[in-house]
Amino acid sequence: MVKTTLLRSSKSTFLAAVLCCGLAPAQSSLSVTSKIVVSADGFLSSLDEGQRSKVLFEFNDAAQRARWSNLPTTMVPRAGLKMGDLTGPQRNAVMGLLAAALSQRGYEKVLAIVEGDEVLKAAGGGSRPMFGRDLFYISILGKPSVKDPWMLQFGGHHLALNITIVGRDGILTPSLTAAQPAKYTVDGKTVRPLGSENDKAFALINALDEGQRKQAILNYKVADLVLGPGQDGKTIQPEGIKCSAMNASQQAMLLDLVSEWAGIINEQTAAARMAEIKASLSQTWFAWSGPTTNGTPAYYRIQGPTVVIEYAPQPLGGDPTMHIHTIYRDPTNDYGKKAVGH
Amino acid sequence: MLLALSLTGGAAAHRLDEYLQATLIGVTRDTVEVEIQLTPGVAVLPVLMAVIDQDRDGRISSEEERAYVGRVAREVELRIDGVPAPLSLIESNFPTIESMREGSGTIRMKLRTERSGHELRFENRHLPQISAYLVNCLAAASDGLVVSQQKRDAVQTSIEFEYSFGADAVPGPRSAWIALAPFWPAAIGMLLVVRMAVLVYRERNTTRIAFKSSQVKSL
Repeated sequence: MVKTTLLRSSKSTFLAAVLCCGLAPAQSSLSVTSKIVVSADGFLSSLDEGQRSKVLFEFNDAAQRARWSNLPTTMVPRAGLKMGDLTGPQRNAVMGLLAAALSQRGYEKVLAIVEGDEVLKAAGGGSRPMFGRDLFYISILGKPSVKDPWMLQFGGHHLALNITIVGRDGILTPSLTAAQPAKYTVDGKTVRPLGSENDKAFALINALDEGQRKQAILNYKVADLVLGPGQDGKTIQPEGIKCSAMNASQQAMLLDLVSEWAGIINEQTAAARMAEIKASLSQTWFAWSGPTTNGTPAYYRIQGPTVVIEYAPQPLGGDPTMHIHTIYRDPTNDYGKKAVGH
Repeated sequence: MLLALSLTGGAAAHRLDEYLQATLIGVTRDTVEVEIQLTPGVAVLPVLMAVIDQDRDGRISSEEERAYVGRVAREVELRIDGVPAPLSLIESNFPTIESMREGSGTIRMKLRTERSGHELRFENRHLPQISAYLVNCLAAASDGLVVSQQKRDAVQTSIEFEYSFGADAVPGPRSAWIALAPFWPAAIGMLLVVRMAVLVYRERNTTRIAFKSSQVKSL
């Protein structure tokens, strides 16, 4: 009798453990979404009616979805609420929402880009302010939900985050990160918003052997991003070296580099993106244009079935290494089209 | 938070002294479309306006827009299998002069040819003194497009590549086969002659054996 009870009890415990383990990741991802929704609702409740009507858009508002750019908001107007028009608590609510949606390193990267724009503003002067943390915008498409799709946009000069949230899934593409200046100092500490994107790439190109580098390096100059803002829905023919021609260590370096974009979003949803990219690594290409010494301006592109990343120094009258534009896309799932079922 | 500023280099936020001409080539089984996006930097806009604004009134009229895109269309060249493929203008769009003055305005034009083939070459000869170029072929997985042997010059004024579709896709270079194309009819003719000779030989052989068999039976 005792033996039977124990057996039943063990079986129940075992089943409970299996269920818990099986459900735990799902619950964890859903709890991340719940936190994001709570933060979004908290932000929305801090607004008056006029502000809410400005910040909220229909989920299928195609014009608003594509309303992002690397250019200053004075040159390419954004819609939504401008940070400079918000009160202190409302701004804190925006930052809390971003902190909930992004990973720690993603959030820090965004802060570094925004503060870099403030540095640019302080250095540039001029009669018409074009830069600075007040000129970043937030907008929400759809209604924050743990179940139904909705979208969070945050950006301005040199930043465009387009985050589509569908249940436990979060899609960060297309998004743009950029930096000017690419290196600045705050309280004696050097800040490089895209420093890892630069350093890891140079480490990778120099980790290739001579034959591999010959495949990777394009014999022509690339002047700018090919698939930047305004190029939604387009994919170009891949070039460079195929990752199947890299050894395991080089492939790991490439994935680590990719994580500088894919890992901007919270860790749980980033893991799903990285798994997709890793699964199709043999169909992924790495192309390079320019010198291979760190500290020099070089363009590179990573292109696979579910990822397109470009890194392009900008020769706009100054040191190109101090002005970087990057783009991150997923040809199969930009704006969450696969997840939403467009 | 106190900011200790440490900046090097210029603080330009947008294109200055280049006219960026970005071309995307879309290939289908029956057509080739060429999309060109032209973005003038603020420093080169006066040079460009001198080209576009023919009556020097500081505005770009519809006639001047048409004349300019016509000029661009004449100064690019598309060749398919070595033969010039005439490009027709499908659409064009001009930004405001104000946006071009800020370096954010982009002229867009789309050209098309109703030609197909296996080797493509595109060259852009428009305003090389002030321009930077990008040129790429679009990928179209649903069409089964296979592109190989992409080659560009050092500054991307030109691109050439081989292409094919779906079941016809050839993974390697076809240029040698295409070069031999005039000799194919003669080669096929020779093969047919050889085939007929073999058939005739077999027929005669079969008849001889049957005749010999009938002779043996009669003995």
